[in-house]
Amino acid sequence: MKGLALFAVVLTGALLLYATGDFPAWGSVHSPANGGELSSHYIENVRTETKVPNIVTAVLADYRSYDTMFETVVVFVAGIAIIALLRDFGNGSRGYPPALANNLPEEPDLIITQTCNLVIPVLQIFALYVLAHGHYSPGGGFQGGVMLGASYILIALANGVEVAMKAMSERKIMLLAATGILIYSGTGLICLLLGENFLDYHVLSRILPTDPIMARSHAILIVETGVAVTVAAIMFSIYANLATRGTLKGGL
Amino acid sequence: MGEQAPIAIVLAPLFGALLIAFVGIRFKALCLPVTLGALTVSLAATIETFRTVLSEGEFIYLISGWERLGEGKGISIGIEYRVDAISALVLLVIAAVSLLVAVYSRTRVVAETPDRIPYYYMLYLLLVAGLAGMTITNDAFNLFVLLEISSLTSYALIAVGSRRAVLSAFNYVIMGTIGASFYLLGVGYLYIKTGVLNMEDIHAVIVANDLAESPSIQVAFVLILMAVWIKMAFFPLHAWLPNAYSYSPTTTGALMAPLVTKVMIYIMIRMMVTVFGLDYAFRATLGMPFNWSNLVVSLSSIAIVAGSVMALSRRDLKKMLSYIIIAEVGYMVGGAWLANERGMTGAVYHIVNDAFMTLCLFLAVGVFIARTGDPRIAGMNGLFKKMPITMAAFTIGALSMIGLPPTCGFFSKWYLVGGGIEAGQWHFVGALLFSSLVNAVIFFRIFEIAYFPKELSDPAPECTDPDAAPVATLQRTPLSMSLPLWISAIALIGLGIFNHTITQWIGSALGSLKFFPPAG
Repeated sequence: MKGLALFAVVLTGALLLYATGDFPAWGSVHSPANGGELSSHYIENVRTETKVPNIVTAVLADYRSYDTMFETVVVFVAGIAIIALLRDFGNGSRGYPPALANNLPEEPDLIITQTCNLVIPVLQIFALYVLAHGHYSPGGGFQGGVMLGASYILIALANGVEVAMKAMSERKIMLLAATGILIYSGTGLICLLLGENFLDYHVLSRILPTDPIMARSHAILIVETGVAVTVAAIMFSIYANLATRGTLKGGL
Repeated sequence: MGEQAPIAIVLAPLFGALLIAFVGIRFKALCLPVTLGALTVSLAATIETFRTVLSEGEFIYLISGWERLGEGKGISIGIEYRVDAISALVLLVIAAVSLLVAVYSRTRVVAETPDRIPYYYMLYLLLVAGLAGMTITNDAFNLFVLLEISSLTSYALIAVGSRRAVLSAFNYVIMGTIGASFYLLGVGYLYIKTGVLNMEDIHAVIVANDLAESPSIQVAFVLILMAVWIKMAFFPLHAWLPNAYSYSPTTTGALMAPLVTKVMIYIMIRMMVTVFGLDYAFRATLGMPFNWSNLVVSLSSIAIVAGSVMALSRRDLKKMLSYIIIAEVGYMVGGAWLANERGMTGAVYHIVNDAFMTLCLFLAVGVFIARTGDPRIAGMNGLFKKMPITMAAFTIGALSMIGLPPTCGFFSKWYLVGGGIEAGQWHFVGALLFSSLVNAVIFFRIFEIAYFPKELSDPAPECTDPDAAPVATLQRTPLSMSLPLWISAIALIGLGIFNHTITQWIGSALGSLKFFPPAG
């Protein structure tokens, strides 16, 4: 069996290497992916079509916004799947081994909690900065959302999951995660209700005080905010469920 | 709103899942009505889309409204949907089957996963959205995103069952992830060589730049083919399927068995027809001394025989059906690779038929297990007397699986056998007939057990899970279970009677294609 597996791995590796010989030169401006009709169009026209300085953001959240919406749904699905499989609703129905005993010390460690108190606000502000700055630099909803979620995980690490759950209850996690996707898909739905195709942002200029091209730029910020909300809520939810074996009690 | 119907097919289940997240968690009684409502909207949108294709032929829906660039067909800079006769047919199957199974789930989900109802229905709706999105999209990368959604949801829907389901879901996760990464690698290679992601554009670039002999494109072809084969459980890549479908909750099995493998076969055909082109698919050789058509048809023959033989030796009802699915996958893969129009028509027609046959049998088996609590074939002792109506529906499903007229199984098999003879692939014809014979043996043995009751000597079920909470058996079959079963059984006969209309319909999409039968 091991030999067979090794054979399959070697065969796959050989196939991949065989194909590599045929690749265009590394970084060549004439390769189809760099200099093809599609990439040239993006590079030349992003500023006039969307007014977004960062080409990656424009491709991600406008030209291919439908993909990004479903990537956010993937995050949402991961969160729900973990709750559906791991969450212990108190009747032991999943039959997993019992949760770890509450191993938190009586008094939270002063140095750790104070450091976290210092770091967390900065982390959250920086997360919002990363989110809002996606138009100009690397960043955007996914990165900002992860940092926002990490700030709640930090609270849970320092004080125990239950303290963090006071700020972000299970009910709130679900509402926030769904709200994030609703912000994204709702933006698309408004475009649809205004008579254009799904996610065709330019029509939002009728309800936003801007011209159709700037409306695309603004809409990108709206949908990125939706992504960040979902990602932050699901990040924390996954941590809380995994760390406590689905009981949401005690700490790591 | 007619022109917005294609997007509504995918959006309705998505918004349904969000609505459950908002209200269903608190008010559990609302979960099923929301699910049914969302799937009804999705079905209505599918029918509307189907009518558009009927009157205007294939059409494109531009998401985000980005028009194609350049002269003639141009290239796509956004993501677009493309609906033709075949995808409309598969969409209709997805919408109809998911709605029927949702009706069927009313008592089962409450009985089997009482504390996770909202999460179950959210995953259910998102799986449907993923499958419909994969079918309708015209973008090779977008297909991967929706493949992720449908994979993640199906892992969770399986694992939410008993503890044995968790282990089989884990095997599925490993296999499914390998498949998904192969697909992603394949699309990456295509992008490196073509610089586009739209399916039709990839094909146009391959033809225009004469990339047919390029090793990267050939490797991409192999990788994508392996990916869809893993995902559809094509023998010998089938090992994840039987346990995953047998140990999962009743509703999950009834939803996934008809849809997931069939959608993957549709995607294989889409890749062959739209992305690589049939001449490429049937001739690409990767420098080896064989051609693809002959090789894949031979593999399919092996898959059919192996699936049938393994089904013959199973004593557990769902396991037996799972192995029959593996044989049926061989039918469709073989039919698609016969390199003639008759075989391809048979394969597409069989996607529709097999979805409803599997649905009918899985629904019937779900009723048996709900009533008797015994998943073994032996547990069907004397069922003709105990529940004659359910057994009648099961019989229709079984006869269709065997391939007796006027059920639809006969007609699609007719096309497949005809295509096999036309292509001169006699081993494929032989494998099809052998599999029909084995199915006849399997199902007539079941009929015998169910018709002539015997004293049971061995009451210990093979497949019960000692850790699972016991699910009470039902005294009567509720209407929510018998109605979908009956609709699926009638559909089997309807699909058979209207075989001419359906095959003409499929032919309208395939008619313009040129098939390249391998020489010799």
